[in-house]
Amino acid sequence: MDHFPTNWGRPRNDLSDAYGTFPLAQRPYNGGKDMFAEGVKHTQQPIVTGTSVLAIKYKDGIMMAADNLASYGSLARFKSIQRLHPVGKYTVIGAGGDMSDFQYIQSILDDTIIEEFAASDGHTLGPVEIHEYLSQIMYARRSKIDPLWNSLIVGGVKDGKRFLAYVDLLGTTYSASTIATGYGAFIAQPLLRKAVEGNENTLTEDAAMAILEESMRVLYYRDARSLDKYQLAKITADGITVSESRHLQTSWSFAEGIRGYGAQTQ
Amino acid sequence: MPDMNSLAHPQQHQFNPYTENGGTILAIAGEDFTVIAGDTRQSEGYSIQTRYAPKVFRLTDKAVLAVNGFAADGNMFVKKVRQRLEWYRHAHAKDMPLRAIARLIQTMLYARRFFPFYVYNILGGIEEDGSGAVYSFDPVGSYEREACRAAGAAQSLVQPFLDNQIYFKNQTPAQDTSHPVHLPLHSVLALVIDSFTGATERHIEVGDGLEMYVVLARGNPALQSLQDLPGAEEVTGTQAEERVFVIRRDLKKD
Amino acid sequence: MSIMELNGGSVIAMVGKDCVAIASDLRLGNQALGLSSNFQRIFPVTDRIYVGLPGLGTDVHTLWEKFRFRVNMYTIKEEREIEPETFAHLVSSTLYEHRFGPYFIEPVIAGLAKTPSGGVKPFIAATDLIGCLNFAKDFVVAGTASSKLFGMAEGLWEPDLEPEDLFETISQALMNAVDRDAYSGWGCVVHVITKDKIVTRTLKGRMD
Repeated sequence: MDHFPTNWGRPRNDLSDAYGTFPLAQRPYNGGKDMFAEGVKHTQQPIVTGTSVLAIKYKDGIMMAADNLASYGSLARFKSIQRLHPVGKYTVIGAGGDMSDFQYIQSILDDTIIEEFAASDGHTLGPVEIHEYLSQIMYARRSKIDPLWNSLIVGGVKDGKRFLAYVDLLGTTYSASTIATGYGAFIAQPLLRKAVEGNENTLTEDAAMAILEESMRVLYYRDARSLDKYQLAKITADGITVSESRHLQTSWSFAEGIRGYGAQTQ
Repeated sequence: MPDMNSLAHPQQHQFNPYTENGGTILAIAGEDFTVIAGDTRQSEGYSIQTRYAPKVFRLTDKAVLAVNGFAADGNMFVKKVRQRLEWYRHAHAKDMPLRAIARLIQTMLYARRFFPFYVYNILGGIEEDGSGAVYSFDPVGSYEREACRAAGAAQSLVQPFLDNQIYFKNQTPAQDTSHPVHLPLHSVLALVIDSFTGATERHIEVGDGLEMYVVLARGNPALQSLQDLPGAEEVTGTQAEERVFVIRRDLKKD
Repeated sequence: MSIMELNGGSVIAMVGKDCVAIASDLRLGNQALGLSSNFQRIFPVTDRIYVGLPGLGTDVHTLWEKFRFRVNMYTIKEEREIEPETFAHLVSSTLYEHRFGPYFIEPVIAGLAKTPSGGVKPFIAATDLIGCLNFAKDFVVAGTASSKLFGMAEGLWEPDLEPEDLFETISQALMNAVDRDAYSGWGCVVHVITKDKIVTRTLKGRMD
């Protein structure tokens, strides 16, 4: 019995069954393709990836951090990639996940900003609008089972209001005073919450910078897909500043005495 | 050691368009009011994403919708319901009645029968006859009107408690007495708070905050006491006769 | 198919003021098919200790006989009755002997311990199927309706309940929990243990 209804009622292929030995155990297949046999294929996987992004609210606005690495599997492939991207005058987005998808997102958002500028209607897009738009794109793509493989943080300040929110490949969104993606969600988030929750309106710029640097250092120690080169983005009422690449000071001397950590063989 | 054979052939990735974001929702109908509540924690796996992500939404002045399950689907679903309600307002110059919203939600959910919104919906509010009502749905649109319903991560903890305390299941009234059919607002609020503190204690995905929406029917005598209740915020949209309030409470954050 | 849910059944124990209570449903089933409505899964260990054995039906019998044997050996060797806490450790180590091929039972223990002054102290405990002990101050639950029992008990239980109030509390907790569980129900049995007597009541439950 042929269990594929799409084969039923189709002629046998006489070229490969020249002597009419029907019924064959395995009938030659000459019909149309069973459209559902393999399902619809869109599914991809991330190729060149970025790791964690961290972001916090502080007294003057939002501060974000991400390292400069784009990995190709376990290979540290690109070591000066910028993963913090300003969009318009009030917003920065930070991305983990697939870097080509992120660059596609950058181009969409940059086009949108240009379009809005060209309209010159007195309206400008703030972080709230950009996050909403980005969420709709991410959710629409997941609904096509063809996702943009990223975790994104959108942070910004407009009209005296701080905004910090998250969106990912599933279209899941949320807003909080500290957000961390990837390994940062496990390793850095507890440190950030301890420092920031309840202190959003008193935390100084220096203190914010210090806690982010310390978190990036812990991540560099423990996340094998991270780099000791990172950038900070600061969004305040005065505008956006994305820092030059900064180097993390780390110390590995503790490893010397630990068997299996350092270079000793026995 | 991992199975070496598994390294030989490429790993098959299948994109899963769903996730679960925890939390619990609950609604109880009174005679002339309805309480619709939800916790405010949003989580994925063992990570708390945020301590404040609302799951309960005011749709009209007599309808409140609670959504629980996959948060992205939930937010999108609320957005689409609100859009349909706005169209209705433009066409008919009035708010859609509660039972009509319930049927609308069924058709919207069933429209996605083969790629469902992974969301459990509970709709609460005031019916056209002034009675409190709760409608509960499954993700593909099966629905019924009930007096109370819990859904979400702690449904199995809360629902039997409600059976016992709202429907008086397994309780026999004393001689020549009978159980009340509807409880007063203050008892309902107390039961909602107890349900959520209990669920917070025993379920890791429940906690952080509690939002209780109260929808009062026209001329409800509890109006004054709600206006006086500290921490109760009125969120009635227009000068409608039904009144909507939110009461917020802290839940344990661990 | 989970072995823990093959036959169904649930047990709960609660602490009161100078008393404890332990209760379970009476159903034995084969997945969704109900087989018996008088299946005993709570057993008297001594005059003051009861043990409930929810889980795989066949292991209920095996394990109970094993406990009975070991408690008898203890009584003979020590020439005294076993205390609840000691029994809990006996249960735990018995289960852990089978760490890599366990009995599919999650025992619940309830009893009154003797105090040096001659009084009694309520004791409850529960373990998982490999003997990890949980000494609780308020209540313990186990079985297919455990999540429902947690919800009920968390809502109904309060400290220092008198025996009659404790009976009502544990009964309501159990009955309403098993009514929402397809694998538990079909009647309940409740034991309330006090200093000078044990009251056992069999409750009628929904038969659907």
